[in-house]
Amino acid sequence: MADESPKPTAPVPRTTRPMSEALLNEKWDRCLSSMLIRSGLGVSFGVVFSVLLFKRRAWPAWVGLGFGAGRAWEECDNSFKRTAAPSKDGLRVMRP
Amino acid sequence: MLRASILRARPALRPIAPGARPQRRVAQRFYADGKKLGDTTIPNPSPTVSPTNASPVENAAIPPSDVPKPPPAPEAASATRSAPVAQPATTPPTGPGSASVAPDPQPPKPKKRRLRRLLFWTVLLSTLGYAGGVWYSLVSDNFHDFFTEYIPFGEDAVAYFEEREFRKRFPGRAGQPRLHPQVRGENKVTIPGKSGLTSRVADHDGSDLAAKGPHVSAVDANPQSGPPAQTAAPKVGSDDPATGEPKKDRVDEKPTESASHHLLPKDEKKPEPAKETKAPAAAPAQPIMPIDHLNVPQAGEPVVQDVVKIVNDIITVINADPSRASKYDSTLEKAKSDLGKVVSDINLLKENLRKSAEEKIKAAHSEFDAAAKELVQRLDHQMQAQETHWKEEYENERERLAQSYRERLQAELDAAKKVYEQKLKNELLEQSISLQRSFASSVRDQVEAERDGRLGKLNELSSSVHELEELTAEWNSVVDANLKTQHLVVAVEAVKAALENQITPRPFITELAALKEIAADDPVVSAAVASINPAAYQRGIPNSAQLIDRFRRVAQEVRKAALLPEDAGVASHLASLAMSKVLFRKSGLAVGQDVEAVLARTEVLLEEGDLDAAAREMNGLQGWAKVLSKDWLSECRRVLEVRQALDVVATEARLQSLLVD
Repeated sequence: MADESPKPTAPVPRTTRPMSEALLNEKWDRCLSSMLIRSGLGVSFGVVFSVLLFKRRAWPAWVGLGFGAGRAWEECDNSFKRTAAPSKDGLRVMRP
Repeated sequence: MLRASILRARPALRPIAPGARPQRRVAQRFYADGKKLGDTTIPNPSPTVSPTNASPVENAAIPPSDVPKPPPAPEAASATRSAPVAQPATTPPTGPGSASVAPDPQPPKPKKRRLRRLLFWTVLLSTLGYAGGVWYSLVSDNFHDFFTEYIPFGEDAVAYFEEREFRKRFPGRAGQPRLHPQVRGENKVTIPGKSGLTSRVADHDGSDLAAKGPHVSAVDANPQSGPPAQTAAPKVGSDDPATGEPKKDRVDEKPTESASHHLLPKDEKKPEPAKETKAPAAAPAQPIMPIDHLNVPQAGEPVVQDVVKIVNDIITVINADPSRASKYDSTLEKAKSDLGKVVSDINLLKENLRKSAEEKIKAAHSEFDAAAKELVQRLDHQMQAQETHWKEEYENERERLAQSYRERLQAELDAAKKVYEQKLKNELLEQSISLQRSFASSVRDQVEAERDGRLGKLNELSSSVHELEELTAEWNSVVDANLKTQHLVVAVEAVKAALENQITPRPFITELAALKEIAADDPVVSAAVASINPAAYQRGIPNSAQLIDRFRRVAQEVRKAALLPEDAGVASHLASLAMSKVLFRKSGLAVGQDVEAVLARTEVLLEEGDLDAAAREMNGLQGWAKVLSKDWLSECRRVLEVRQALDVVATEARLQSLLVD
C-alpha cells in the first residue's frame, strides 16, 4: 500500500502563507535574526565611534550594542503585539 | 547723555571745517600755480605763439602727464624764471596788482573751460545721439515709432531723410511731394472749368477722303504745324530730287500725290502735272512730248498705264534737265514707237493665256461629265442589287411565316385530340373504380357476416399480449432504477475509499465528477456536491490519521503559547515558552477551560473518532492558541463538509432504492 501510492501527489508546500502553527516560530526567527543584525550594527557603530572619538574606550561599543538590541526588541515586541489581536484591516471603526 | 555730548562736541567741530577749507584751497591754488607754470605762460605779458599752440595739441592727443615737457623757449624760460620771483608775492593776498596777475585768471579759466568742455561734449553727444537715433529709426520700425513720438523734431528729421531716400530711389517723381498736399492742410487745387475733355462736333472741312488729312498720311501731321513752305521743300526733294526746283510752286498738291500709291492709275490728275512740267522746260530746249496715255492702244490696261507712266517720268526728268541737248530725243522716240509693240506683245500673251484657260476648263468639264455618268451607273447597279436582295428576303420571310403558322395549327390539333382521349380514359377509370368498390363492399359484408365470432377472440388475445408487454416494461424501469442506485452507492463508496486509503492528501476531483455524472440530474446529489468547498476536492483532504498527526504538532505549538496574557510582548512570549516546558500535562476528559484541558479533551475525542466534537473543542480556544490552530480547524471543517456531503449522497442512494416500486 505504501509503496503503491504515487509520489508526485505529495502536497506542494505553499510559500505564500505559512501554516498557522508555524506562525509563532517564524516570528521568533525573524526576531532573532533582526536582533543579531541590529546589535551587530550597533556594536560596529560603537566601535567606530570609540576608535574615532573616545580613545578606544569600551563603553561606546556597549552603548551601540544596547541601542541595536533595544531597537530589535522593540520591533519584535511590536510584531508580537500586532498579530495577536485579530486584524482590523478593512473594518470601519465607529467612534462614539 | 551721549547725544548731548555729541551735540556739545559739534559746535567745536564746526569752526574747524570752514577753517580747513580755505587752507585746502590755498594749497590747491599753490599747487595749481606750480603746475601751470610749466606749460602755460599766461602771466607773461608778451606770450609767444608756439608753446600755447603746442600745448592744446598735446592735451588732445596724449595725456599731459605722460608727455615729457618740451624744453621751454627762451622767452618761456625767462618767464619761468621770473615766476618764482613772483611766487612769494602771490601766496598772501597782499596787493591788488599782483593778485590780479597770477591767481585771478587761473580760477575762472578751469571753470570756463570745464563749462565749455561740458557744453561741447553735451552738444556733441546729443548731436551724435540724435543722428544715431535718426539713422536707427530709418532702420528699425519700432525705434522709428519711439523716436518720432518722444524726441522733439524727431519726426521732421526722420521725414526729411526718408524724403531724400525716396527721391534718390525715384528720381522721376522727385518734383512732386509724396504726400497729398491736402493732408498737410495746404490750399485745395482748383481745376479750371474749361480744362479736360469736352463733347464737340467734329468740323468737316474736307469731307472727301481724297483730300489730304491724317487719314491719308501720318507724315503730313507734323509739317502742318510748322510753316508749310519750309517743311515741304525737303519733302519734295526726298521724293524725287530731280524735279525739286521746278515743282516748288506746286507743293500743295504734290505731297499728296507722292505719298499716295504710285500704282493706282490717277487718270484725272496725271496729265496735268505732266503738261505743266513741259511748260517751264520748254524755254531752254526742245521739250519732248510725253506719251498721251489716253491715246495709247489698250489704254484700259493697268500694265500699259504703268509703262506709259514710267516713260513719262523719264521724259519729265529729261525735260527738266537744262543741260540736255536733244541727245536723248531719238532714243525716246524709239521708246515711244516700241510702246505699241510692247502693247501688242502683252495682248498676244493675254490671248495665249485665255486659250490655255479655256482648254483647261473644257477638259475639266469632260472629266466631270464622265465622273457623273459613272456615278449614275454605279447607283443604278446598287439599286438593282438591293431590289433583288429585298425580293429574296421577302419571299423567305413569307415562307417562314407560313411554315410556322402551319406548325402551330398542327400542334393545337394534336393537343385537342389528346385532351379528348384523356377525358375518355378518365371516365372509363372512374367507372371501373366504382365497380370494384361496390364489389369489395359486398364481399366484405359477406365475410364479416361469416367470421364474426373468430375475429372477436383474436382481439382479446392481442389485448392480453399488450398488457403483458406493459408489465415487463415496468419491471425493466424498476431494474434500471435499481442499477442506477447501485451505481450511485458504488460511486460514493469509491470516493470514501479514495479518501480513507491515501497517505497524503490528494485531489479526488475525478471521483467526485464520476459520482455527479452517475447521479445525472438528481437535485439532492448535485446540491450535496455543490456544498463541498472547491478547495477540498481540488487540493484533497486528509484522512483521520493524518488529522490526528497534525493535531499533535499543532498541540505542541499551542502549548507553548498557552500561558500568554492578552497583548503579549516579547518578554511574556519568552516566559510562556519557558514555563510551558515545566507545565504538567493533563490527559483524558479533563475539566476546565484552560488550554491544556482543551487540548487533552480534543485528543481524546480525536482518538475516539469524533471529529465534529474535537473541532468544536478547539474552536473554543482564545488568543494566540486559536490563531495557531486556525489552519487545523479549517482543515477539520473541510473534512467534515466532505463527509457530510458523502453521507447525504449515500442516504439519497438508499432512499432511491427504497422509493422504487
